[in-house]
Amino acid sequence: MQSSATKLVEELGRFGIVEWIDSHTLIVHVDRSKLRDIAKYLHWGIGGYFSVSIGSDERPLDNSFHVYHVFSLDHLGVYVVVDIRVSPGYLHVPSITPIIPGANWHEREVMDYFGIMFDDHPEPKRLILPYNWPKGVYPLRKDYPYNKKVYIEEASDEPEHDSRFAGKYTIIPIGPYHPALHEPEYFELYVDGERIVGARYKGFMVHRGMEKIAESRMTINQIPFLAERICGICGYTHNVAYCQAVENVAGIDVPERAHYIRSIMLEIERIHSHMLWLGIAFHFLGFDTGFMITWRLREKVMDLAEMLTGNRKTYGLNLIGGVRRDIDLSKALKVKKVLRDLRKDYVDYMEKILGLKEIIYRTRGVGVLDYGEARKYSVLGPTARASGIDTDVRKYHPYAAYRHVDFKIPVYKDGDVLSRILVRHEEIIESINIIEQLLDNLPRTPIMAEEIHVPEHRIGVGVTEAPRGEDIHFVITSRDNKIYRWRPRAPSYNNIPALLVMLKDQHLADAPIIIASIDPCFSCTDHVLIIDVRTGSRKQVGLRELSRRGLG
Amino acid sequence: MRERLGLLRRSISVGIVTEKYPYKPIEVPEGFRGKPVIDQDKCLGCGACVNACPPNALSMTDDLDRGVRVIKLFLGRCIFCGRCQDVCPVEAIKLTREFELASINHNDLYQEVALVMAKCMVCGRPYTTIRLVEHVASNLPREQRSHLLLCPDCREKHSSKKVSYARW
Repeated sequence: MQSSATKLVEELGRFGIVEWIDSHTLIVHVDRSKLRDIAKYLHWGIGGYFSVSIGSDERPLDNSFHVYHVFSLDHLGVYVVVDIRVSPGYLHVPSITPIIPGANWHEREVMDYFGIMFDDHPEPKRLILPYNWPKGVYPLRKDYPYNKKVYIEEASDEPEHDSRFAGKYTIIPIGPYHPALHEPEYFELYVDGERIVGARYKGFMVHRGMEKIAESRMTINQIPFLAERICGICGYTHNVAYCQAVENVAGIDVPERAHYIRSIMLEIERIHSHMLWLGIAFHFLGFDTGFMITWRLREKVMDLAEMLTGNRKTYGLNLIGGVRRDIDLSKALKVKKVLRDLRKDYVDYMEKILGLKEIIYRTRGVGVLDYGEARKYSVLGPTARASGIDTDVRKYHPYAAYRHVDFKIPVYKDGDVLSRILVRHEEIIESINIIEQLLDNLPRTPIMAEEIHVPEHRIGVGVTEAPRGEDIHFVITSRDNKIYRWRPRAPSYNNIPALLVMLKDQHLADAPIIIASIDPCFSCTDHVLIIDVRTGSRKQVGLRELSRRGLG
Repeated sequence: MRERLGLLRRSISVGIVTEKYPYKPIEVPEGFRGKPVIDQDKCLGCGACVNACPPNALSMTDDLDRGVRVIKLFLGRCIFCGRCQDVCPVEAIKLTREFELASINHNDLYQEVALVMAKCMVCGRPYTTIRLVEHVASNLPREQRSHLLLCPDCREKHSSKKVSYARW
């Protein structure tokens, strides 16, 4: 292990200057000419995967912009940050999207926010900012005040449909607005009869500018509470990832008990998130009994969270250096009792449910994402594990207390919706096992580190395995209790682009379950408006209805 | 078929699980993080909670004309994290188990504490609350208490004068 890491440092030395920034993160400062080579080497050469790109305006520090590409090397347990310095006079960087298609969105985001151009990017269009956002205004640059308003006057010139398909096929827009949804997302499906021939995605409608708020007006110990609000389902994992990023920078020795409590809450969150998803998946399959069952069982987990942290969601448990609430013996015993009953109930129900032929027929071979495509898009979490990629941050980059527990990682090869159901189903049972092991071995230490000193202008990477996949937070620290740059990346960011592959050549009626199968935080009763290009007639159909009867 | 009948049988045996809320009250557990309440009699006006509050639900303003410091809590911004409770030196702000905060009156969402400020012995400017001065004084040895009655600016001048006398 140690020798292979040394070998890696040597190998990376061919591309640029290599440094360790903490015990399991490397930074490589490379020249633009070597960027593609190192990206190719890390993603395709030695079995790592592309994780996230970060743009950063560091003109006040070293008079330049920076672009960081982060790669995960699971087999070595190492993260590699590739750092490219961009001079403000020539804002161009070679794009790595031609090599790793999964980097597409990441690079476009940097283009939007910093005005750094990526040469040879196949799709250099706006991603997050609207098309009529004024040119030359880059909101994440440091000279842009966080409270400055932009008045948009021009009309948007964004093309309404994908020109490759529009006019030839029927267009089916899904979304974006529905009062019941917390996350509006817009899909446009191009269908030929019942067959989907292409799809277009448009998201980022609930972009909240959290990074800018955190960087400009929040202190280091306030940001965990903001991070928790990135997601309404798996917020705690963001909270932990952020705290870990800062703790890694500062080399804070977090007490073991705090690590255990974090892991316990993370697993509770995973159970409730997966159960929520299972319920929604069943609902989309027209199996509402399954929906009721899983959501009823989930309610017990929510009660546990409420008892342990004081709230069903937004646990508010973390600060830099530890946790704020202890788990005492009576609570631990109660958790164990509830989980014991839950496992019995859950396993019993799921055995019956997974024996239903309708569930199998509706999901087997549907929405396939094969291994090769999954690698191209760098998908994460259960979506990756259902496509045969053996990846799990908890196992390969152990954080919190995961190095002290035994658990299996379910991996399936088929890459269809059924595999994704099975992966999550098995993970729920594993999570219950993990919590039981952790509760049995809770160490007796304090729950908060005593000495906390955060050095300035250093890079930290914090990673957790969210219910949907790897969740990574990239932090550059600053003075006065502030953060200079914070870039959280949720797993759906890497998973959603792969949806367009999954949807291709599928039945229209399967679209809802395919979209839901990556657990993209958006679900329920979305509405669909059908425009028949041949007759121009419009009719509105609920997504749920669509999932049952298609267009017919 | 067997699975289906089994499922049916189990589902029926569970019965009704929904609760009659809001017609019947709902129990929340011990340690639930609900509405924060400020104790008027304890608050010192030190502003520790204002500094810690992530969403800026707490604010502090000095009204120099009236000579009072106002600590204001707006529940509309509160995220119920309980950081204020953590950092308060005198347990003046505490989270309760109350969570039904909907109201038709906007003012119900505000809590305000107005504390009389101490005036500087030299320049006469109000600089902090009397309660805070008393609280700090009770934790200081007698000989160090005198400069507490000066505002930060005058205190600076005062101590630099002392230092220069000492040099003579």
